[in-house]
Amino acid sequence: MTAEREAEARRVSWEQQLAVFEEEQHVPPSRRMVMRMRHNKLLLLGSAIGILVLAAGILGPWLSGADYTAQSFQDTHLPPLSEGHLLGTDGLGRDLAIRTFVGIRVSLIVAAGVTALALVAGLVLGMMAGYFHGWSDKLIGGIVDFVWGFPLILVAVLFAGGLGEGLFPVILAVGLVNTAAIARVVRGEVLSLSEREFIEAAHAGGYSNFRIMWRHIFPNILAPALVLASYYVAVAIIAEAALSFIGLGAQPPLPSLGQMVADGRNFLRQNHWESTIPGISLVLLVLSVSLIGDGLRDVFDPRLRHEAKGVDDK
Amino acid sequence: MGQSWIRDEFGEEVAELAERYRSKEVSRRSFLKNLGLLGLGATSAATILAACTDGAENTTTTAAGGGGGDTSTTAAGGNGDMEPVAGGTLREGYNRDISKHDPITTNWYDPAFFAIYEAIVSNNPDGETVPQFASDWSVSDDGLTYTFQVPSGKTSHSGGVIDAEAVAEFYRTIQAESFIAGLAAPVDTYEADGDSVIMRMQNAWVGALGPHKTGYWRIINIATWRELGGIDVDSTFGTETADGTGPFTHEEWVPGSHVLVNRWDDYPGSNTPFFENEGPAHLDAIRWTVITEAGQRATQIENGDIDTLIGPAPQDISRLESNPDLTVIRHPEWSGYHLSMNRDYDEFFGDVLTRQGLSHSLDRQGMVDAILAGNGAPTFGPFPTTDRYYEPAVQDFNQFDVDLANQKLDEAGWVMGSDGVRERDGVRFEFEYLVEDESVQRAVAEAVAQQFSVVGAVANLNVVDRAVAFEEQSGEGRDAAAMSLFFWLWPIPIDVLTLFGGSGTIPVPNFSHAVEPRIDAAIEAWQGAATEEEGQAAQSEFQLAWAELLPFMPIMNQNATFVHHNRVHGWQPFVWNLYPYYNDTWIDA
Repeated sequence: MTAEREAEARRVSWEQQLAVFEEEQHVPPSRRMVMRMRHNKLLLLGSAIGILVLAAGILGPWLSGADYTAQSFQDTHLPPLSEGHLLGTDGLGRDLAIRTFVGIRVSLIVAAGVTALALVAGLVLGMMAGYFHGWSDKLIGGIVDFVWGFPLILVAVLFAGGLGEGLFPVILAVGLVNTAAIARVVRGEVLSLSEREFIEAAHAGGYSNFRIMWRHIFPNILAPALVLASYYVAVAIIAEAALSFIGLGAQPPLPSLGQMVADGRNFLRQNHWESTIPGISLVLLVLSVSLIGDGLRDVFDPRLRHEAKGVDDK
Repeated sequence: MGQSWIRDEFGEEVAELAERYRSKEVSRRSFLKNLGLLGLGATSAATILAACTDGAENTTTTAAGGGGGDTSTTAAGGNGDMEPVAGGTLREGYNRDISKHDPITTNWYDPAFFAIYEAIVSNNPDGETVPQFASDWSVSDDGLTYTFQVPSGKTSHSGGVIDAEAVAEFYRTIQAESFIAGLAAPVDTYEADGDSVIMRMQNAWVGALGPHKTGYWRIINIATWRELGGIDVDSTFGTETADGTGPFTHEEWVPGSHVLVNRWDDYPGSNTPFFENEGPAHLDAIRWTVITEAGQRATQIENGDIDTLIGPAPQDISRLESNPDLTVIRHPEWSGYHLSMNRDYDEFFGDVLTRQGLSHSLDRQGMVDAILAGNGAPTFGPFPTTDRYYEPAVQDFNQFDVDLANQKLDEAGWVMGSDGVRERDGVRFEFEYLVEDESVQRAVAEAVAQQFSVVGAVANLNVVDRAVAFEEQSGEGRDAAAMSLFFWLWPIPIDVLTLFGGSGTIPVPNFSHAVEPRIDAAIEAWQGAATEEEGQAAQSEFQLAWAELLPFMPIMNQNATFVHHNRVHGWQPFVWNLYPYYNDTWIDA
């Protein structure tokens, strides 16, 4: 009986997939992509959470109209749902809701900065290494392997030591490590593309290297690079939180989720919400970004999924 | 508190159990476990526990009276009628990282100094000077000569003879080599005369013995010190070994982790009259564990990982006080959070009206309540109320008054801009504010910066680690931070504050680079004070000048808090010494 049910379930599933596939054959590529997204539950779930968290980060500070530095020594350690303080207050009587919203915004800004840096630098370096081979490949590959050989936190601490605490060194440090990750994958893609007929035809046509890279290779690696970058947004958010937790990220009074978790940890026994609220916000933020990244990967380039996970274990 | 309602509410069996818990026949854990076995829920158990804890005398608060040395010290955990038990290792939690166990070269001294070394004299629980290594001491009528009697036959841990000449030579080495020697500047010479150490003064000075009671003047075998490297930074004295005369010997020294000392079986006993134990220590060993994570300290003593604790996090103190297995000892501490204002940033801090305006913007009591959970007191002058010379009139200055703050800043020429930030002569009132990356200091800095912003000053926090903070505080001129927060902890405030406030110690530790002739004159008067009256007058003037001229901005001081498990006896921190002594300490098996 169980075997029959399983067989039936498989049949239904297969038929559904077939129906989607057949449906896709009759629509333009862009709409096909939207349809794939629509059927990707992870992507939908991630997007739903992401929209909520994004709204909190972007609109929250504006809607609440409060000042995240405003303190009241008479209202310290208030629990969530206290009058005038939806998520309670911290040890200086500052509103946890507004500070959490701003913390999310800081995480998003860092993630955007890191991703932009890593994507641009990773694409350029990866394309050069994969296209030109020879010494440039060895040099860039060597640098990438060198950076990749150090834990992210260590690289960030070194940068903070050299440049001082704050968000800029964090963006540089995490961006550097993520650049290595993206460059590594892009190089592999370019190596593969370089052997394809249309690239050989372009060479035969006498096109310059720049034109071949820009007009023929770049469009073919952009999608997988974007997918990979989306995956590393989560890495950037976690790294920023970790560095802020140890005091190397956002500087007070600017709140950061990691710093708020750190500040609240000494009050866990009495007022756990001071750590758990920013902690949960961080989990939701990372979860949504990860789900979106996974979903996009499935939609755009399923081949990268396993590869990305492999390098992300670092 | 009566227990009848427990009997009425929960029955005879629970009432009996509660009575046994109150009389400490059963532990808290066993009590709660048995309540559970009797079928009581968590809420009921908590109610009964609270009722039993209410009124339990497990908290001792010692208070030093300001100004008069009217100190009431209760020795909690004393031996009582119990016979001390020899053996065992005392596990003590320590809230700072450990320092080099070398009195001459260390920049800080830890509790282990009170176990490994002895001072020539010390304070007793009433704040009186009593002999420790010396068997007796006296001062001449003119106050120019101090005589310390050194008992014959004394040796150090290594067997070296510690006679009057060895002690005098050690003190002369401090005068020549120690960075802190200036604390005893009025001392002229140390000489040995038979079994006596003679300390001759340049002038009679009522504060002469103060420095000699600190860790920096604790007696070591100076021959061993020289042999191991002396003043050289690579000297292994105080790291690999130490050679003192105290009841314990140096065993292990691991920065960031722990310190271990073992009982010195040949210890001849102390001359300190308030010690009950006249022979070697009861304990086999003491191990100090570094617990820099504030929230972990209370948890470790609650879990039984340590027996005693120095400096629990303020927010955990009330919980510890409600634990019947523990005793909490609190007293005002000789410490303070102060703000330096670098006078080389003349455009910001050069005029006293600006400094006073900023100071009036601070709600010090609010910060004590919020950041120290009430476990401290606001400071309006340089000293905490603990000090025997405390001048209460400093409270006429620096009170929280935002209107007055704005008025002073207006008078100073600062004009409020449309963005809420003041300007003067085209200079925006915005400066760097350096702070060490430590949870309380960071919280103080955030609170202070926000209050400054209310009156139109922007203090941009720069949070850095301890070493960087010290380096950036210590620069010359404008190389030093414009403003920085620092925390000092010291058993003799007037002396250390002469270092901070005097014009002779710019840039370190006078991080404000402040030159105030009135303060310099008060310091000079203090170091020349021959009598208590002269000392009090000099100290009062020093405090009033400080409170008014603000070479540094006082903020608050926190209570010294110590916790011990009730199985530990004879561990008696009191207000006059930085740490407890361990001669009488024993653990009830």
